[in-house]
Amino acid sequence: MVYSLAISRFLRRGRVLALVLVALCVPAPVVADQSRTAEEWLAQLAPALNMTSYRGVFVYARGDQVSSLQIAHRYRDGMVEERLVLQDGGNGEIVRKGMRVVCVLPEQGHVQLDQVIPSGPFAEAFANQLMPVMQWYTPELIGEDRVAGYDVVKIGLKARDEHRYSHRLWLEKSTGLLVKSHVRSLRDSVLEHFQFTSLEITDDIADAELAVQTQGYEIKRDLSAEASPSPAPRMEGWVLRWQPDGFMPAATPRSGKGRAVAFSDGLAAFSVFVERAGRIAMPTGASRIGATTVYISQLQVAGQPFMVTVVGEVPPATAKKVAESVEIDDTMAFETAKR
Amino acid sequence: MDDRLRETLSAMMDDEADELSVRRLLSHGEQSDVRAQWQRWQHVRDLMHQGHAPADAVDVSVGVRRALAGQQDSAMEARLATGVATRNWRWPAVAMISLALIVGFGAGAGWDSAAPDNGVAEYASAGATVSGSPASDPVQEVALQGLDQEQWEHLSRYLLEHAQHNSVGAGRGAVGYARLVSASAPAY
Repeated sequence: MVYSLAISRFLRRGRVLALVLVALCVPAPVVADQSRTAEEWLAQLAPALNMTSYRGVFVYARGDQVSSLQIAHRYRDGMVEERLVLQDGGNGEIVRKGMRVVCVLPEQGHVQLDQVIPSGPFAEAFANQLMPVMQWYTPELIGEDRVAGYDVVKIGLKARDEHRYSHRLWLEKSTGLLVKSHVRSLRDSVLEHFQFTSLEITDDIADAELAVQTQGYEIKRDLSAEASPSPAPRMEGWVLRWQPDGFMPAATPRSGKGRAVAFSDGLAAFSVFVERAGRIAMPTGASRIGATTVYISQLQVAGQPFMVTVVGEVPPATAKKVAESVEIDDTMAFETAKR
Repeated sequence: MDDRLRETLSAMMDDEADELSVRRLLSHGEQSDVRAQWQRWQHVRDLMHQGHAPADAVDVSVGVRRALAGQQDSAMEARLATGVATRNWRWPAVAMISLALIVGFGAGAGWDSAAPDNGVAEYASAGATVSGSPASDPVQEVALQGLDQEQWEHLSRYLLEHAQHNSVGAGRGAVGYARLVSASAPAY
């Protein structure tokens, strides 16, 4: 890609589940023969993600951050078990058994991860969103390649407008497993990159490989518990006057601190946080880490300062427009959200 | 414009100009000539590489001056935002990136190696899109490195929470975790 500026600019993006759901459930628009094949591949992706058993090491790069993780993933008797071990920096691992997740993480600066692990049923919230991805992205079968020793097909999902990034997925041929992905900018340079560097697709994964082995501060969450009567997002006290076509409210974080709502078009997502401006003065404007944009803006309502933050894998212009479209209509709703 | 200046300009295109020469170029009396020459060359180069022309009539000299002065113009900040250790950079790389950014037409072959940043020129392209639509202003960039500890932590929380929305609970497989881990990486 002539325009791609540097090898180090990478990205990847999962976002795949909803995509697949979409591929499955939405009547595809009239497309060329080639694209239809791409859609068939995409349809295979969701089951492949969960129901393939494998072990390997993958790298994830965005901005100048590169993380490397070792993973073992097993699907047996209808249950997904997986264990991820951080390969860089401090020791840490994430172990998941069905809907139970245990994180053992190294010192994360001063950020406490337990503040942000959701207690709500996010999986449900997302899975229930059947969003027409193909309406916002053009699928295309680009070709074949080889990744981590496996033959793959390369599929492009080109954004149909400038409000979102394009994606590229590499799927292993026999299982459909996602082995590499890119998030690409409007000019087709790679912003985020996910890729297996070593991979073994096998059903022979021992229990020991899936057990927590690191000593440390453990955070446990049962994602299936606390089923909420209302998984609908709560935009208490504020509304969004504009969002890019196709982005729907996807889930409500239950950390209880902010006023956050996630929006997704099935592939990309952004979160909107609306809070009273606290004692920490934040600069306003956009920052980027790979494909992730953070846009912070301030506004005054009834003489009170509020801070709106948009975080997501969308172009800065989109994040800005979203942030500026937030309208606070009930300042009282924020009384309970004091931090 | 004499041959020496022309040579400097050419060297800039190849990422080989030294700082003194560029300063000389910038202080040249006929800046419009310099600009015109730069744009012509970029034009030619772009046509050769891409088959289409870059945006015309973009004045990059301001950005270059800022880069020289070490100021954090938006381009610099954007690059800082990606956490690159700028001090070690050869000057031309800095200027080139600023140029690439401000001109907003991506980068030629010579610049590729000079741009280990991730979002920057990318950002330029986004910015170009923005300015292309009359309704919106260019987006102001905030350098992550300019944030103090408290601000960074605040930002980290947002990043984490957003990552959460898409990772552990979202059932998106390994890739979801990766973003989470990346988001929980120590501050820049």
